[in-house]
Amino acid sequence: MVNFVVRRLAFMVVILVGVSFLTFLIVNVLPGDVATTILGDFASPEQVEALRERLDLDRPVLQRYAEWAAGMVGGDFGVSLKSNQPIGPILWNRLANSLVLAAMGMAVAIPIGIALGVVTAVHRDSLLDRAITATVVVIFALPEYVTGLALIIVFSLEWNLLPASSLVLPGQSLWANPMTLILPVAVVALGMLAYLCQVTRASMIAALNSGYVRTAVLKGLTRRRIVVTHALRNAMIPTLAEIGLGFGYSLGGLVVIETVFSYPGIGQFLVQSIQNRDIPGLQAGVLVVAAAYGIGNLVADVGSLALNPRLRS
Amino acid sequence: MAGPAPGPTATPPGIGARLGRLGIMLFPALLLFLVAFGPLVTPFSATAFDPAATLRPPGPTYLLGTDEFGRDLFSRIVAGAQPTLLPALASTFIGILFGTATGLAAGFLGGRRDEVIMRAMDVLLSFPALILAMLIIATLGANMVTLVFAIGFVFWPRSARLIRSAAMELARHEFVDAARARGEGTAYIMFREILPNMWGIIVVDFTLRFASAVLLVASLSYLGIGVSPPTPAWGLLVKEGQPLLQLAPWVVIFPCIVIAVVSVGSVMFGEVIRRRLTLPDRRILA
Repeated sequence: MVNFVVRRLAFMVVILVGVSFLTFLIVNVLPGDVATTILGDFASPEQVEALRERLDLDRPVLQRYAEWAAGMVGGDFGVSLKSNQPIGPILWNRLANSLVLAAMGMAVAIPIGIALGVVTAVHRDSLLDRAITATVVVIFALPEYVTGLALIIVFSLEWNLLPASSLVLPGQSLWANPMTLILPVAVVALGMLAYLCQVTRASMIAALNSGYVRTAVLKGLTRRRIVVTHALRNAMIPTLAEIGLGFGYSLGGLVVIETVFSYPGIGQFLVQSIQNRDIPGLQAGVLVVAAAYGIGNLVADVGSLALNPRLRS
Repeated sequence: MAGPAPGPTATPPGIGARLGRLGIMLFPALLLFLVAFGPLVTPFSATAFDPAATLRPPGPTYLLGTDEFGRDLFSRIVAGAQPTLLPALASTFIGILFGTATGLAAGFLGGRRDEVIMRAMDVLLSFPALILAMLIIATLGANMVTLVFAIGFVFWPRSARLIRSAAMELARHEFVDAARARGEGTAYIMFREILPNMWGIIVVDFTLRFASAVLLVASLSYLGIGVSPPTPAWGLLVKEGQPLLQLAPWVVIFPCIVIAVVSVGSVMFGEVIRRRLTLPDRRILA
């Protein structure tokens, strides 16, 4: 088990090195000069030259990559082209806000999603199953902003219950107005629970069709015991791996959700970096997201290992 | 107690289910029609301003109302099928093409080469799809070509992984041994023996991948990445309409409904095809 975790960690480091190199490469080597992209086609040659100097574009790529990567490891994320401020503190603050959103969304989605998955699997092909499954498929197929805007129209514009935006004023805490968090959390949770419900349903059906469940039925155990202790415990193993994947997926979805609600998270940071042509900000943001994604998958892998005795040796 | 039913309980579909399935099968025809003839059947220009008719609510002249510049929303939505669906189609094609070639090579060749190819794919898979596409478009410049390339690139490792496992499975069959015994070369076996046996998987991958491409294009254009005004791409319509949500909700609601119908329809079409070709469930996010 320790061996596996160490190997898996080493693999993650390798992946992160690859990811950081790719991020750096995409920005620095692909056709088109970064300085020209940043400044637009109407910049004078002097302006382009000045920016090239500022970004150190004239030195070899590998040398620049090594310095950039070393800075990242040491916590130096570079300086934003837009604000001339260090990127690090802004980025950590945004990441923390995003993690709050993702964590609250998952806290709502995991119990509901798993419960719905179990109910639909146990009452498979019933009217209830069909209704829930169809709803869940539709929700999962929708872009996050369609769900988000639908909630805004109903809860903010029609019923005037909840604020439509999570805009945080400078100097204000995210928690100054907790009501603003409800709608974005709801959108994160809806997408996640739609996904978890489908995954749990599929693995529960597989578990309920297995030999050990038939044995349990023949032994005369209660239905509750069969479903909860025999089927669900085994069905949770693939579901847990999917929760990790779903966490990474929700990081992608957060980009859209944060834009809908003007939520000050890392997704909005990435979109703003693109709009401002702030390449150092974009690189740092993408790398942090990829790292969070990797950690999510790692936690899921280790978690499913801890749950599954067969894989432990 | 009535224990959980053992084995699958397939009931023959009723007339309603059959009609539903027929509707789903006609869905791509509708999309093709919109893409091919959309700009020809719009009652108004999709881009010309009309200061005399700004923010009209839905009515007999302007079926779905107009936006703040007096542009007819119905015309914009119909014309927006092209910039939304064509990039989705093209990028799916590119992603599947590269994914199939890579997956086929990795799965069939195996060994060290397989290892190197798949580790490179793992690196690409460590980015959430939307974020990788954003990164590529932001650095290569926002236009239709980079949009298509970026989404194709995002699909490449995902498709490669699926095709690789199919190729590994097929490579174990006797007809491959037979071809080897006949003295056929590697390329012949890959493309003439294994590939023809994978069309089912490739078609299913294509339809489900297309559904997620529509979602990605719609999300990217909502973020204002990859397409720029006055292109009436559906996501961009929503983005531009959002500030007017309170004043003129129709400018947001109708594009959202169209996006919802097309996203859900594409997923269901992919599912129908998957069931037709009786493939096992695959991980939805993969």
